[in-house]
Amino acid sequence: MKHARIEHLGQAIDVTVNESGDLVTATGEIIEQSNAKWLSPVANPGTIFALGLNYADHASELAFAPPTEPLVFLKGNNTLTGHQTPSYRPDDIDFMHYECELVAVIGKEARNVKREDALAYVRGFTICNDYAIRDFLENYYRPNLRVKSRDSLCPIGPWLVETNDIKDLSNLKIQTHVNGELTQEGSTSDMIFDVPFLIEYLSHFMTLKPGDLIATGTPKGLKDIQPGDVVRCSIESIGTLENPVLSEHDFYAQR
Amino acid sequence: MNTILQGKVVCVALNDQQQIDTMKGLFEQAPYQALPTEPVLYFKPHNTWNQSNSPISCPEGSGATLVVGASLALIIDQTCCRVSEKEALNYIKNIALLHDFSLPEQSYYRPDIKGKCIDQSATLSESVPLPELGALDQLVISTSVNGLEKSNFKLSQTVRSAPQLIEKISHIMTLEKGDIIAFAFAGKRIAVAPNDQVKSVVGSTLQLENLVAGDK
Repeated sequence: MKHARIEHLGQAIDVTVNESGDLVTATGEIIEQSNAKWLSPVANPGTIFALGLNYADHASELAFAPPTEPLVFLKGNNTLTGHQTPSYRPDDIDFMHYECELVAVIGKEARNVKREDALAYVRGFTICNDYAIRDFLENYYRPNLRVKSRDSLCPIGPWLVETNDIKDLSNLKIQTHVNGELTQEGSTSDMIFDVPFLIEYLSHFMTLKPGDLIATGTPKGLKDIQPGDVVRCSIESIGTLENPVLSEHDFYAQR
Repeated sequence: MNTILQGKVVCVALNDQQQIDTMKGLFEQAPYQALPTEPVLYFKPHNTWNQSNSPISCPEGSGATLVVGASLALIIDQTCCRVSEKEALNYIKNIALLHDFSLPEQSYYRPDIKGKCIDQSATLSESVPLPELGALDQLVISTSVNGLEKSNFKLSQTVRSAPQLIEKISHIMTLEKGDIIAFAFAGKRIAVAPNDQVKSVVGSTLQLENLVAGDK
């Protein structure tokens, strides 16, 4: 089952998405996609964890050795924006790239969970695009909040898919298209630290709570993104997250 | 006035000029290569929010010493997006003291999730209206453990002032009502042990007290 949240007639509502792509409310009313604005599929996002260098091919692309312990950083909820809503490219930078990522959404409180049991604490999975502005990297808390915690620079969605509906979490094809051109291709089979491991790792030293998100890192295939580009992140068994990119000026002018 | 931790709790590290001066030699070498040019920020996420000021537990098993830092906490009063230093304090109505209990920091190179995200490790005092404190850069945060003063941090020695940081941070992320910026930690954090009583004060206006839990 696919669960989404949309804004319809000025109200945020929970819907499911049926086989033909219609949005179905709790009372069975059908809303056409053209009459809805997509919101983040998680109503009250908690801590947003993201992984750096969690695919070996991506780590070598950035000239880093693969990590021996997860490289985890946190993002603010100001970064989240729904499917088909805009992100922006800051002015005066040289390199901003997408990162198509599988996201685990925590469904119940988890503390000291073993990896064998970990998926029982997951409500489902979605997709995010964890943009990075490489110009703003410094060697303090790298990657820092200026690189990774900017408004709208983590599109998420379109929906959450229940864990049972995903055939093999450890072998999902990941693709990113920019303006229709395939620019990133990988598989979750190349993830260094998988979702059960990450839940065991994090819950060993802190409590995970419902609504927490774990963005699991991105495979190889970076490309600079410019205003006017449309970026589509797809993960097999989940769906496709598509977002336009505006200039900084246009983005904040329409907020 | 009662206040709770909510929304985004943004802490500013390396905002003590004396610490920067002391560590300059180290920060010019690998892996840092250069002093930071922008504020060094971290979040205290929601599992760390200790709303009832209950005793702070040392993480199990590590045998690690816990350290505490005290800071003024600016409480955002209205949506604050890309504001200038000049208008920044218009977005703050109240201010409080915040304690951040964490593991001692060995390196600033990577985000310190293990050290900073301990359950129930962030506490906030009652808040007072900003004007009651007078000029922020004249304030002193005094922290004592079991009645002995361990830190005396003059806000005149911060690298960046509150208005400068609000400008910088609000250009990275839109701040919402209730979000917090803790910007004035002394560089040297204070080691604490089970059963220690930690108390921070700013004059007679603000105070925050926490107990470190005993051994289990």
